Amino acid sequence: MHRTAAFLSLASIAALGAVSACGTSTSGGSSSSGGGGLSGCHGTITVATDLPLTGGDSTDGPFPQLGAQLAVTQANSNHVLGGCTLNYVSKDDSSVAKNGHDPAQGAANITSLAADQSVVGVVGPFNSSVAEAEIPVASQNHLALISPSNTNPCLTTNQAVPASTCGITTSSLYPGPHTYFRVIGTDLTQGEILAYIAAKQLNMTKAYVFDDQEAYGAGLATIFKQHFASDGGTVVGSASLPGSTTDFSTQIANAQSSGAQVIFFGGTSGNGCGLVRRDEGKAGLTLPFLGGDGCQDQKFITDSNSGSNTSEAEGAEATSAPDATKLSSAQAFYSAYSTAYSSKSAPYNDGKNEPYTPFGYDAMNILIQAIKSVLLSNGGQPPSSTMTFRDDVVQALHSTNYSGAVGQTSFDSNGDTTNPFFTLYKVSSGNWTGVNAYQVDSSGNVSVKS
Amino acid sequence: MTQESVGVGPTQPLGEAPAPSPRRERKAALLVAPEGLIARHRGSGVMARTAVPAFRTTYGFISHNFPAIIMIGILASVLGVLAQGGPTLMGNQMRNALVLGAIYALIAIGYTMVYGIIELINFAHGDVFTLSGFYAFLIADHFGINKLAASSGFGLLVALVVIFAVSMLLAGITGVLIERVAYRRLRDAPRLAPLITAIGVSFLIEGFMLAFFGPDNVTTHQASWINGNAFTLGAVAVRWTDLFVLGMALVLMFALGAFVTRTRLGKAMRSTAQDRQAALICGININRTIATTFFIGSALAAAGAIIYSINYGSLKWNLGFHVGIIAFTAAVLGGIGNIVGAGIGGFLIGMIYVFGGSLAGGAWSESLIFAILVLILTFRPVGLFGVDVASRS
Amino acid sequence: MTALLELDSVTKQFGGLLAVSSVSFSIGEREIISMIGPNGAGKTTAFNCVTGLFPLTRGDIRLDGHSLGGLPPHRILRLGIARTFQNIRLFSYMTAVDNVMVGAHWWMKARVWDGALTTPRSRREEHAVEQRALELLDLLGLANYAGNYARELPYGLQRRLEIARALATRPRLLLLDEPAAGLNPQEKNELMALIARLRGEGLTVFLIEHDMRVVMGISDRIVVLDHGEKIAEGSPAEVRENPRVVEAYLGSGASQEMRSA
Repeated sequence: MHRTAAFLSLASIAALGAVSACGTSTSGGSSSSGGGGLSGCHGTITVATDLPLTGGDSTDGPFPQLGAQLAVTQANSNHVLGGCTLNYVSKDDSSVAKNGHDPAQGAANITSLAADQSVVGVVGPFNSSVAEAEIPVASQNHLALISPSNTNPCLTTNQAVPASTCGITTSSLYPGPHTYFRVIGTDLTQGEILAYIAAKQLNMTKAYVFDDQEAYGAGLATIFKQHFASDGGTVVGSASLPGSTTDFSTQIANAQSSGAQVIFFGGTSGNGCGLVRRDEGKAGLTLPFLGGDGCQDQKFITDSNSGSNTSEAEGAEATSAPDATKLSSAQAFYSAYSTAYSSKSAPYNDGKNEPYTPFGYDAMNILIQAIKSVLLSNGGQPPSSTMTFRDDVVQALHSTNYSGAVGQTSFDSNGDTTNPFFTLYKVSSGNWTGVNAYQVDSSGNVSVKS
Repeated sequence: MTQESVGVGPTQPLGEAPAPSPRRERKAALLVAPEGLIARHRGSGVMARTAVPAFRTTYGFISHNFPAIIMIGILASVLGVLAQGGPTLMGNQMRNALVLGAIYALIAIGYTMVYGIIELINFAHGDVFTLSGFYAFLIADHFGINKLAASSGFGLLVALVVIFAVSMLLAGITGVLIERVAYRRLRDAPRLAPLITAIGVSFLIEGFMLAFFGPDNVTTHQASWINGNAFTLGAVAVRWTDLFVLGMALVLMFALGAFVTRTRLGKAMRSTAQDRQAALICGININRTIATTFFIGSALAAAGAIIYSINYGSLKWNLGFHVGIIAFTAAVLGGIGNIVGAGIGGFLIGMIYVFGGSLAGGAWSESLIFAILVLILTFRPVGLFGVDVASRS
Repeated sequence: MTALLELDSVTKQFGGLLAVSSVSFSIGEREIISMIGPNGAGKTTAFNCVTGLFPLTRGDIRLDGHSLGGLPPHRILRLGIARTFQNIRLFSYMTAVDNVMVGAHWWMKARVWDGALTTPRSRREEHAVEQRALELLDLLGLANYAGNYARELPYGLQRRLEIARALATRPRLLLLDEPAAGLNPQEKNELMALIARLRGEGLTVFLIEHDMRVVMGISDRIVVLDHGEKIAEGSPAEVRENPRVVEAYLGSGASQEMRSA
């Protein structure tokens, strides 16, 4: 009953949202009465983000952070929670030592957020390796964690991937309740799509696979290898190298020698994705290059083109987050973002400069809607016990059915979005250009999303 | 200090006089005694003396044959690569190894020179390498050198001369400044003090580069200076860049070797390294000699950085730490303090890195390098070209 | 006789130990002067003070009337004071001729860039200095060992090589710290002849020596130190007869040796 009530109220809010300043996104009513039944609500409820904002990730993390912050700002100005206000806290999980996202820093951030009794939910983290460290802390403290971008499948399930290749025992991540959600498809979907593209679209039979030794990169590479093999291809060689590697010539020579027809990189640009492409050019190889969302950024293009061939990046392909910039559902968000952050310096003044920006925004809105439904079902007031409040928010999140900037989102029992899809991008004239969106249906068939 | 304990005399040979050697033959450009790390730390070989006989024999055997073991290991991995991928793969990897080795060698020489003269492992050296790469980048980008290099063959030559000369000069000055500000006052302090200072200087330079050049790879626009393949051996393409990297490194190393063996300043450096007080009493200006050593070491690091830039096309603020620690291993492998040894050590490390990585998987390249560092320090701290300490004791 | 080097109340203190206590004497041009005294008397400390290795606690040292106070060792050497060490300190892993050439380092004119670019000027100079170094080796009977590492030479030759290196610095005053130690009688005779010859060429020699035959045989004057203090100074004959030297410091056996020398 409880859940149904929450669902109904969410749906009605969604209807109201359609006429709000934010177009189709459902950030609440346009007046204090829009908080329907919450006008008597008293107090401040804290929501937070934990994303990498500095160091090597400074070109990624700030975008979903700003997106999430925008959601809070809109909710407050629209009095979505009636008399209650949202307090927003931003945490940075980068450390100087790692020059970017640092799992230890992330875990410390969640610990400190969990200790704050006013915090009921967190949007983050950005990186799967950080999630691995944060999920147990969040679970123990019954704190909802909604990631805009974690694609490592093992964070939510071991079932679809052999545990031996996972590197994570999923069940051990959850000493308490399952409080983790994500609004993005997993590498399971992504790797499957990438293998499909390599084997069926590019018609290649031999692949050489790199990974950057991190949970995301190694996981994606593993899934790619499995599906590439089941699609009829052969993995002729692979190399797992640390992110500090600056020279990939040795492995490129091995790839060349093994007759590879396509180079696959599982990992991030910060960990050498573009440098592999650069060294491919240095060795005079012209093999197709395929990567995951970690490669699909400006850094990849810069690094690829830093070698003797200054247009080496051309033609490289990578799947990444759905290209929301073309979605009609996201247009209102992007314009609201540009208005809100027009005073920011480039590239942060335009949400389109990073694919995960609307995912941060949607994740935060989903959290806010869950809070709202808890308040409504609790007689218009926050539950007096923090633990109860947090548990109720997690329950409400499981019932999410939210139409936001990136489309219709709901979660399965593992907390994964039921609507996973990725867009394939290709470097053309020095820019990543969306080619096609690919989706995987429930029986595992890949198809171009029309 | 009592009046009698000013210093320790040289090794006095036992037995009769050596075979006279009236001609001035050219002996190796040793900065310090080839006992290297061991010379000032008696007690090495303790394991060899105190362990059970069987172990002692094994230790002695490995120690004595360490150079042979390393060489056989390298040869085996080269043959392994040959068996795996045929002559093309072996050729490609050999080219990669030589190019990488040339860069390590140039950096290793800086470590070895500074250690030789003031017994300091200059942890900031790797960062001086990166910083001088950025000097070259700024000069090339702001003074139209990139355009000059692209204009014609002659333009390229002028660009190279300018960029090497100016960057090496700036790097040399940087090295001298670091020595003057951070190390000179600590020259007679316990050894740990300048070592910690060196780490501090390293952090300082890295922090500066991070703040100034950002966290990402910075494209230096120098990779397109030299283009095209020089020749093709079988299916192995050798680029002009490869030849340039290798040739430049060799020329610089031989020039340095000649400088240290033959010139007045070279002799001043060697004498200062071997007995600072005796050098002082021979009229050598120690401060200036040590400064010159830092100048030359840093200038070579700059040359290495430009070569790196021309080969790879990008630099990153923390590159020096990574490359530096591998180059340091090369210096130890060659016998720290031994300039020729550092050069050869650089190339050997390049071979180990590439061929080992090719066979064992790239994930093991660095583990392999550091395993070798541990093995050298255990079995042969004097390096490949030092005297055989264990068998002497 | 004008004083070349003057020690004026030279005092050197290490913590509580007074190694040299208010010692004054002077050395004339072309004089051969010996400093004797038991072990620990402060002789080598006095050498280290003269050559600038130890800063003075009190007092002054003057060369040609100009104070050397505060000058670093390499500057003092360049004013013309060279020395050898009691425990030989050669550059072990440099050849004999290179060792000598290090002594010539300071007066060579080639600059850093000459060396780096091997200009004709630097090459000519290198060649000239090398010739000079070979002459010095020849003078000291080391011509056959020019290409050997210093550490390969036997003890006696190492002592001579150190003198050759000191001579290469173009000194006016040569300080020798126990040059006869470890030499056989034949070598000692050669040493004495060498010292006499050097004086003949205009050099002033100041030596620390324990061998009384050498000391008495070549010294114009002798300074005696004990516990850091100068207890006697004079001609060999005067010192030999000085009751304080005999009584307080030499002991009966040594005084016998002194008289017989």
